[in-house]
Amino acid sequence: MNVNEKFSAIRKGLLEFLVLQIIATDKVYAADILKQLSETQFATQEGTLYPLLSKMRREGLLDYEWKESEAGPPRKYYELTPKGGEQLRETLEYWSEINGTVKKLGQK
Amino acid sequence: MNKVITINLGGNAYQLEEGGYDVLRAYLETAAARLQANPDRDEILSDIERALAEKFRALLNSQKTVVITQEVSSVLAEMGPVEADPGTSSSGAPGDASSAKPTGEQKTAGGSGTPRRLYRIEEGAMIAGVCNGLAAYINIDPTLVRLAFVLLTIFWGTGLLVYIVMAFVVPEARSPEEKAAASGSPTTAQEFIRRAKEGYYEAMKNFPDRKAHREWRRKFRREMRAYAGHWRYGWPGWWGGSTRFCSPRAGFALPVLSLLSGTVAIVWICALISLLATGGVLGLTLPDNIPVWVAALVLLFAYGILAGSLKAARRFCYWGFGPPQATATATASVVLLLDAAVWCVVVIVLLWLALHYFPELREAVQTIPAQAHQAAADIRGWWTSK
Repeated sequence: MNVNEKFSAIRKGLLEFLVLQIIATDKVYAADILKQLSETQFATQEGTLYPLLSKMRREGLLDYEWKESEAGPPRKYYELTPKGGEQLRETLEYWSEINGTVKKLGQK
Repeated sequence: MNKVITINLGGNAYQLEEGGYDVLRAYLETAAARLQANPDRDEILSDIERALAEKFRALLNSQKTVVITQEVSSVLAEMGPVEADPGTSSSGAPGDASSAKPTGEQKTAGGSGTPRRLYRIEEGAMIAGVCNGLAAYINIDPTLVRLAFVLLTIFWGTGLLVYIVMAFVVPEARSPEEKAAASGSPTTAQEFIRRAKEGYYEAMKNFPDRKAHREWRRKFRREMRAYAGHWRYGWPGWWGGSTRFCSPRAGFALPVLSLLSGTVAIVWICALISLLATGGVLGLTLPDNIPVWVAALVLLFAYGILAGSLKAARRFCYWGFGPPQATATATASVVLLLDAAVWCVVVIVLLWLALHYFPELREAVQTIPAQAHQAAADIRGWWTSK
């Protein structure tokens, strides 16, 4: 088992965090999120993203508004709710703690 | 040349090849099944549909208006399988999940039950497939239906009329969907194709390289062909029977059955000739109120029933209750050859006997060339007079 496989569960768990971060920077629609993720180790597909987005919306972390597109059906543009922003800040804090722990234990 | 199906995705119409439509429907049905317990099921599905619509739109332009099957497959591969519980924890409330479930089940139940419809089935038909279609509709052996029609014709004279009316009124089953609807069984072609395509797509994802893809595609096509054969040769009662070749039975039964077939054929020809020549069959004269052509048609039906059941029995000896493709082994072809040889000998011997012992028959045969000449001369005369 290589590192990539070992981290698949962790990547899956971190996806929600990264989606929060992407949405925090700008109003985006699903294809933008996928495009930004595709250049990273967290590349994913619509089949995974849409259920995740609707789950996050159900939890009150994000909301969307409809926008007409120049061609094709209207698009959902997602943005963070205050609760989502709060969650992002907490997660970032926790993440830096974890990061610190990993570095600290490594130095000993 | 492929059939095109128009679908509605996110409020826009798209034209898909039939194969692509099947693959797409399989994908969406799998997604719907996986999301059954998800309270946002409908919303996710419409998100997916809109994403598909956008991807299809990108493939089309003013010259290219149809999404082909391969493109559908690659778009779906790009989308990836729809996951039931994304992220870390699934926080769907238990109450929501249980309330969402029954509606999902109702939907799938409604989708799988194909309504049965009355069609004419020309495959294996004797005249226009009316009896065949009726038999599939009420799920009994077509021979019984044919027999009922013959009896109706003989005793009340209505069977023929009903048949002719139905032959014009009842539509013929042409497409796979219609053929499936004709028998209406749960194992319809439609359902099979859907499930097979689903399996096809699932398997496609697991093969990494091009060569494995090709190999799998070839295997899949072979299976689909075998299935098509199954559909053609097996009528509803024959589903799921054994497909082994039963040689011990066939060894004894085949020559006997062939002999019977030959005898029936000869008797039929003799009866027809005697009917046309003398107006009576085997010593029985026709009542005055029945025209000769009705009697000839009844004779044709009777022959069809007898010959048909003998043929079915012989087919059973070759293949059991199954498609020929699955069991066309070397032994089967040897027995087939033997049977054909026996059949030929029987026909020749019977013909020879008939020509020797029935002077009328011999005379009739001898007058055929003269009659043909006469008919040709008549036609020529009619043509020149015109």
